[in-house]
Amino acid sequence: MGSTEGVMDITVGVLALQGAFNEHVQLLRQAARMLSAKDIVEKNWIFKEVRTESELKSCDALILPGGESTTISLVAQRSNMLEPLRDFVKVTRKPTWGTCAGLILLAESANRTKRGGQELIGGLDVRVNRNHFGRQIESFEADLNLPFLKNANGQGFDTTQSPFRAIFIRAPIVEKLLPNVAGEQEGEAKVDDTVIAPSRAIDPNVARAINVGEVEIMGTLPGRAAALKVDDSRKLDAEAGDIIAVRQANVFGTSFHPELTGDPRIHVWWLEQVVEAVNRRPNP
Amino acid sequence: MINDHSNKMATELPTNSTNGQSNGSSTSNGKEFTVKTGLARMLKGGVIMDVVNAEQARIAEEAGACAVMALERVPADIRAQGGVARMSDPKMIKEIMATVTIPVMAKARIGHFVECQILEAIGVDYIDESEVLTPADHAHHVEKHSFGVPFVCGCRNLGEALRRISEGAAMIRTKGEAGTGDVIEAVRHMRTVNAEISRAKGMDDSELRVYAKEIGAPFELLKETAKLGRLPVVNFAAGGVATPADAALMMQLGCDGVFVGSGIFKSGDASRRAKAIVQAVTHYNDPKVLAAVSEDLGEAMVGLNVSSMDAKDKMQGRGW
Repeated sequence: MGSTEGVMDITVGVLALQGAFNEHVQLLRQAARMLSAKDIVEKNWIFKEVRTESELKSCDALILPGGESTTISLVAQRSNMLEPLRDFVKVTRKPTWGTCAGLILLAESANRTKRGGQELIGGLDVRVNRNHFGRQIESFEADLNLPFLKNANGQGFDTTQSPFRAIFIRAPIVEKLLPNVAGEQEGEAKVDDTVIAPSRAIDPNVARAINVGEVEIMGTLPGRAAALKVDDSRKLDAEAGDIIAVRQANVFGTSFHPELTGDPRIHVWWLEQVVEAVNRRPNP
Repeated sequence: MINDHSNKMATELPTNSTNGQSNGSSTSNGKEFTVKTGLARMLKGGVIMDVVNAEQARIAEEAGACAVMALERVPADIRAQGGVARMSDPKMIKEIMATVTIPVMAKARIGHFVECQILEAIGVDYIDESEVLTPADHAHHVEKHSFGVPFVCGCRNLGEALRRISEGAAMIRTKGEAGTGDVIEAVRHMRTVNAEISRAKGMDDSELRVYAKEIGAPFELLKETAKLGRLPVVNFAAGGVATPADAALMMQLGCDGVFVGSGIFKSGDASRRAKAIVQAVTHYNDPKVLAAVSEDLGEAMVGLNVSSMDAKDKMQGRGW
């Protein structure tokens, strides 16, 4: 963050190791245009693709896009990005949003990972179930009601009036909320085929401004009846209320892809959270 | 004020575009077309590797492949052994699907819609209607709209790409010349597509109508492409990529990602080469990284010079 003549600079990165990162950049641009219409303090938004540690260091906030979580994790490891990412998310606790593969990477625990699979970044005390709905043939679109949008932005953002069209592609869900513990999720380490993220302690200076607290559920998929694939013969009850959006302090995760719809409302809401976080941040 | 410091490819694919839906899918099952093109978007910036068994699939996944392509023989072997090349044994494909968590693609012969039905039934994530296999129909490609599973198809030029999209392909790749380790044809096909799109960009509707007729492309799709300045679906490189430098070359030419066929498992150290190509596709614009990952990779696949091949030995001429 910096400022010149009362203009506030905010740099938002999109992790660009693999996946649909450019789609997020497009939606961020769209969201920033919408925000500039209502802003009192003018913001200088800088959106950049992040592939290296130095690029990450310049960011005030970060999006982890959809893609293949295994690939992103392995490339991050080999590009020496895993530890800087854990620092960003868990030590300095800067605003971070993960979609689909990004949600998996931000989970403290993920299942259905194969041997030699992936390392997690962590930051959200949840267990995600990868490829929850199955393979590509089970991918679908659904209309969602996301109450947090309305609370933040009022008219036009009321998803009971105009639902958020969400696209789920080989999507994960949040299968379990975990307690906020000091250290790693040891109980989860004992679950078969499950990997956990290593623990990183929050920076004590940052801890004064942020209370990490418990995970909040921000959105659910109300049974598969809402999904468009009406020919699906699954038991609807078992699928009722799948958790598909969560937040814990600085970390936000969605299992669907708002970057594929051209609907910038979640990006607008999230950028407002970023502005608040930047304003709250203690001076170094 | 908005500063976009993203390392913008000349080829940004807008999220609020019609997603190539002027291919007629919006009238049938266009909503699902977003789901089909969506998976292709998730594969961008990644490497899709040919594998012939579960063991190779595991090596590919651990190397960082964003998907694998299951097939019975890699193109170099199909070329060497000859005979009719067909869809792989579903049992082998299912073993690969059980082994890896990344998406699994499989190839069907051009025009062989029953092979496609079988591949859809076993649940593959993408079907490649591929010239690498022996074509099953002398005139017709598969009608791809009616399938729930998405398709990728090869092209040598813009007209061919748009014909495949109009049939329902949700992803395009260059044909290149598979199984040679010679990248020249992939480059030729990508450059041809790029040149034809630049030409179309400067045209008004009446000129586009003439051009559409000339290249055998549907007018609406050509118009959308001209407006976007790129193909309206994700476009990967394929056919002859053998080194990290080859992969980065195709990315710098504007491809969204890379298929590697024989180039990995026909080389000296498959795992090491596969990892290097994955890194090269992420850091395709950083020559220092490219230099580092290109070091000490062992022997590349033995190449075949496309320029010394007979026309009848080339696979790219299959399909139209």
